[in-house]
This record gives sequence, C-alpha cells and structure tokens, in this order.
Amino acid sequence: MENKNTNLEEAEALAEMPEVEAVMGDGAAVAPAKKRKKPINQQKLQDNLWGWLFCTPLIVGTTLFVYIAFVIAILLSFSNYQEATPLWNFLGNIEWGSAAIVRVESGEFITDTSLIWYRYIFESTTQSNDFWYTLFNTVFYLIGIPIGMILSVFFAVCMSRDIKGANIFRVIYYIPCVASTVAITYTFQRLFATGGSGVINRLLFGDDSTRYINWLNGAQNTRPWSSGAIIYKWVIIIMSVWKGLGGTIILYVAGLSGVNASHKEAASIDGANAWITFWKIEIPQLWPTIFYNMVTAVIGGMQIYTEPDLLFSTNGGVNFEVTPYVGKIFYLGPMGNNPSPNCAYACALGIILALIIFVLTLFQFLIDSKMDK
Amino acid sequence: MSENLNENLNEELEAPVEEVAAEATEVAEAVAPKVNPIGKAWGAFINLFGFSSKYYPGSKKRKKIFFDVLVYIVLILGGFTMLYPFWWMICASFAGSSIGLADTVFWPGAPTWTLDQAIFQNYIDFFDSATLTINTNVWATIGWTLIYSIVPVVVGVITSASAAFAFAKIEWYGRNIVFFYLLAAIMIPGPSIMVVQYCIYYSWGWTENGLSMIIPGMFGSIMTAFFIRQFLFGLPTSIIEAAKIDGAGYWRIFWGFVLPLALPAIMAQGILSFMGCWNNYLGCYMFVDNTKLYNLPVLIKKISDNYSGGAKNPAVTIAASVISILPILILFASCQNLIIGSLMLTGSKE
Repeated sequence: MENKNTNLEEAEALAEMPEVEAVMGDGAAVAPAKKRKKPINQQKLQDNLWGWLFCTPLIVGTTLFVYIAFVIAILLSFSNYQEATPLWNFLGNIEWGSAAIVRVESGEFITDTSLIWYRYIFESTTQSNDFWYTLFNTVFYLIGIPIGMILSVFFAVCMSRDIKGANIFRVIYYIPCVASTVAITYTFQRLFATGGSGVINRLLFGDDSTRYINWLNGAQNTRPWSSGAIIYKWVIIIMSVWKGLGGTIILYVAGLSGVNASHKEAASIDGANAWITFWKIEIPQLWPTIFYNMVTAVIGGMQIYTEPDLLFSTNGGVNFEVTPYVGKIFYLGPMGNNPSPNCAYACALGIILALIIFVLTLFQFLIDSKMDK
Repeated sequence: MSENLNENLNEELEAPVEEVAAEATEVAEAVAPKVNPIGKAWGAFINLFGFSSKYYPGSKKRKKIFFDVLVYIVLILGGFTMLYPFWWMICASFAGSSIGLADTVFWPGAPTWTLDQAIFQNYIDFFDSATLTINTNVWATIGWTLIYSIVPVVVGVITSASAAFAFAKIEWYGRNIVFFYLLAAIMIPGPSIMVVQYCIYYSWGWTENGLSMIIPGMFGSIMTAFFIRQFLFGLPTSIIEAAKIDGAGYWRIFWGFVLPLALPAIMAQGILSFMGCWNNYLGCYMFVDNTKLYNLPVLIKKISDNYSGGAKNPAVTIAASVISILPILILFASCQNLIIGSLMLTGSKE
C-alpha cells in the first residue's frame, strides 16, 4: 500500500512537468534529446497511473477482506475474544500477555494465556478428540478427488473421440455443476434415504428389505471409522464426485484437444497403439491440467462443510461420524446466531487449517517437481 | 467417396491377401503342424470388432464403429446418471404424500392431482410455510437473491475486468508484485477468516442489513480477473496502440475497446459468478442474521429443518429445490455455448 502512495505522488509530480517544460520551451532553448524524452515520460506516467487505478478495487478488496481479516484472525487466535462484540473496541483494548482467566467449554478455566487455544486443542481430551475425528472425516472425503480424476479423464477421452453429439454430452455432464448445492443435497438425502423409502436401495435391491443399506442414518455419534460412519461418508463422496465431474471433464477435454496431433501421428507410425499413445503422449501433455485440478481440489476439499452438514442435518453441531473439520469452526463461530460462540478458539482452528492446506499444497508441488526430473 | 474407394480396393485385395495368408498358414503348418483352434476361433471373434490377430487381418473401420458404440453406451449411461436426480426431483415435487415420495422412482408416486389436491400443492405449501414458520415471503426472498447475485456480479465483473486489463495490457511499476500479492490471497482458505469476516461485518451492522452479501463482491474476484486476463492476452495489442496514437486515454480504451472486445469472456464469467451467487448458501447462512433478508438456499434449509421429522410432506423441500434450480438451468441452457466455450478456452491455456 505504501508503495502505491509514493508511486502516485511521483506520478502527480511528474504530471506537472510537461507544463513547466512547455512554458520554458518558448524562451529557452531545450536540448533536443530532452524534448524527445518528454512523450515517453508522459506515456510511462499514464501507464503507471492507470495500471494502479484499474487495479485499485481488487487490491483494496483483497487487502481488506482477506489479508487484514487474516492478520486479525491470527491476533484473535491468541486472545480471549469469545462473543462477537464490536471488534474495533476489543482490538483496541487487548492486553497481551495478561493472565486473564478465559472461559472454555464445560466449565474448564485456563489461567496461563500463552498460546492458550493452540494448547487447549491438544491438552483437553474432548477437544483433541473433536480435532482428530473431524480432521479424519475431512481427509476421508478427499478420497473423492482421485476417483473423480480417473472418472473425468476417462469420460474426457470418450468425449474427445470423433463422434457426433460429444458437445451435447459435455453440456449434460456440466449440469450438476451449476445446480445449487442445497437442492442437490436435499435430493440426495431422499435418494439415499434409509430403508425402503430410498430410491437407491430400491433400485439396487428391489423389495428385499433385509439387504437395504443404511446410507445416512448418522446420529449415533460413534467413532468416525466405525463401519456405519464409513458408509455415510461414501454417500458424501459419491455426491461430490457426481457434482464435480462435469467441470473437470471440460478442462480435460480442452486439454486433450490441445495435445499435439503430430506427436500422436508420429507415435502411431512408430507402431504405438491407442493405449500406449494415451499413456506416453496424452497424459504427459495433459499433466499440467491434471496437476492444477488436483491442487485446487485438495484446497477445496479441505474446506468441505455444506454437504455433510445438510445431508445429515447436524445443524452446526459436531457429529463425529460425518462432521468435517470446518464444521467444528462453524460450531464455535458466531455465525448463524450461535448462542455461545468462542471466536478466538475458532480463529485458532482456522489458522491450523490454513497451515495444513499450505503444507499439503507445498507437498504436492514438491512431488510434481520430483516427477519432472 | 474415399471410403468407398477404399472398400473397393479392399475387396480387390482380399483374394490375394487370403491366398498369401493361406500360403503362410501352409508354411506355418509345415513348421508347426497344428493350428490352435481356440486361438483361431478367438481371432475370428475379435475380428468381428475389427481387431487383428495371427489368423485374420484387422479392419480399421469396424474397429472404429465398435469403439464408437462402446463410447456411446458409456456416455449415455453416464449422462443418465447425471440427469436422473433432476428428473427425480421434478417427479418428487409432485408427490402427494410422504408415502408417495417414497414410491417415486421414474414417476411421481401418488401424485398430487390424484389426491384431490392442487397440481402444484407442494409449491403452494412451500410459499405458505415460508410465511408461517420463517415469517417471510418467498417472492421477497427471490428478490433478495436476485439483488445478492446481480449487483455484486455486475460491479464485480467490471472491476475484475479492469484489473485484468491492467495486468494484460499495461506496463506499470509493481505489476508483478501486485500480481503475486493477489495470487497469494487465494492460498488463504475461507474458513480460517470467516469468523473475523463475520465480526467485521457485524461491527459495521452489515449482518442486519444484507450489505455483507453485496459490498465485498463489488470489489471483484481474483479468479475472475485471472480468467479475463487469459482472454485479454489473446487480443492484439495493436488495437490498443492504435487507439493510444489516436489520442484515447486508458479510461476510454477500457470502456470503448476492451470491454466490448472481451465481452464473450466477461459475459461468461459474469454468468458463472451469477450462478455462484444465486446458489451461495454458505455466504448468506454465515453473514446474514436477518430472517427477512435470507436468500433462497438458506430459506430452503430453514424450511427443511421444519419439515424433517414432522408429519407433513417432505416433498415440499424438493419443490423448493426445483424452484431454486429451474432459473439456473434455463440460464445455463440458453448460454451453454458461451460458458462451455469460455471454460474450454481458459482450460486449454493452463
């Protein structure tokens, strides 16, 4: 931001220069080299001025709602800010390092405020259970990413064959992407309904009620890896793969159409069949798209919240069987008229999530650079 | 024509090829006296689909037809999976009772019109229950949803496009640093800042008057800016140079040249973000506390909460879902060329 201000001041100072020179130009002889330099300076000034001006809204928005919010989140995660009282007053009055007594859940009190929430997550048994169980659920939902990737590459290869109507299929497969998550989730809630009222059970097993699968009766709140809980999570995975398939298919179809045709031809002349061509020519050229999708999918997948919450009607509560990591943040946050929020703790969990996502992304880039060699 | 020619050629060639093959088999039999009958039968079988084997030459044409049929079957099965839930949704929204909803597979079970109810009974119930339980009007909710999705998207796409223009076509000091600065913001996940965002909006009173859904979007979105920037790279810079020589300032170039020329990309991004905002459940659920200012997805959630476990027909939730999906489907159907084309363009450049 400071950078920008100084630059603008410079620009203003420069803006006055041409006039001065124009006045001088009447009387005094100006060196021709200087004269030629004048329009270039003018152009550069315009470039800088308008470049910054055109970017200003985006820079301001990002700074205000992302960067400043992130810095405040870091600050709050070390504080005892619990209810959503007006933020600015609180930020002005934080006493850093004071031994303020902080209320935590179920009547526990913490007196030592250094790293209070970060320690509380791991020191309190209930909290560390919440943390690890919800994190397990989130990571389990990531299984959908490789499944979706394989399926979408498969369908993209099918669609990029020279057949009639490939465009229509592309549109059909993209429809779930534009549909509302809420509507889709409630539809799947009915499709996968327990017992004979669910269409999926009906279609799979007919009227044989003994074989009906209990898809989403997730209210027992047992361990996240209990056999029932695994089934519930698969419903979420099926749904998110189904919903996200179309978008990645389009990207892969675009990527496949960009594969160099002469490479393929050369390979077929050398006697490679379609299978070998696919693995040796198409996949390597498609890899940047696949990698981009993988990175964004992992970043997005770590933030999953809406689908499990709506599908299992947890209503902001924490259900060990299905609630993802972000669900715990929602449970603690002040959103949705939460009667007893704990903003500082929610911020701490959020910062940990940001760290996890950062490490995962870094890890993927490391693998990618290894594979390049 | 050429295919016919090829066929003719093939027919002419077939006889000699068979002769040669027969000779070859004779030679082969002389060396290794037995032909594997199973192998030969298998060869004949896969030859039906155009595959080549030791005994039969393959046919490229038949192979292509075989794979085309296979691909069609796979794609149609997949397409059915993609479309079935939507069809089910429409059917279920006409199911007359809870039992009827359970019986709905390909057609509404016990549909409303057979139960002495209005045809759109579930839709009427949705409007009624919104008034009764949430104390809000569905038309007002749809109006707010439209405001939440039109105002930020129109303003946001223009601000994004202006930033994209600056990144793609103007050389200015600090461009790369700013670009990296914006790129890094994508790395910060939403859930880790949403609590603070709520607190900020709450401090400004935005959670009560709905501005939390409007103002932040008006500053533009980084991803939209990047997509439009990709498109602008494809525009010839000479147009802008020519406009500059003719004395147009950047302001005029932006409004007079860049916006009209990049309109396909801008429209596509605008429509995509419109859909995103129309479906934005989480934003409204988090940042709007006033029940009168809910958008459609949040209203559906609240209605569903009231129905789950209740005695009334849960098909009302499905009817509400249909209402929220239909406008998007119509919009997508009418603009699918633009949207898919834009996605393909950005996809192929990555």
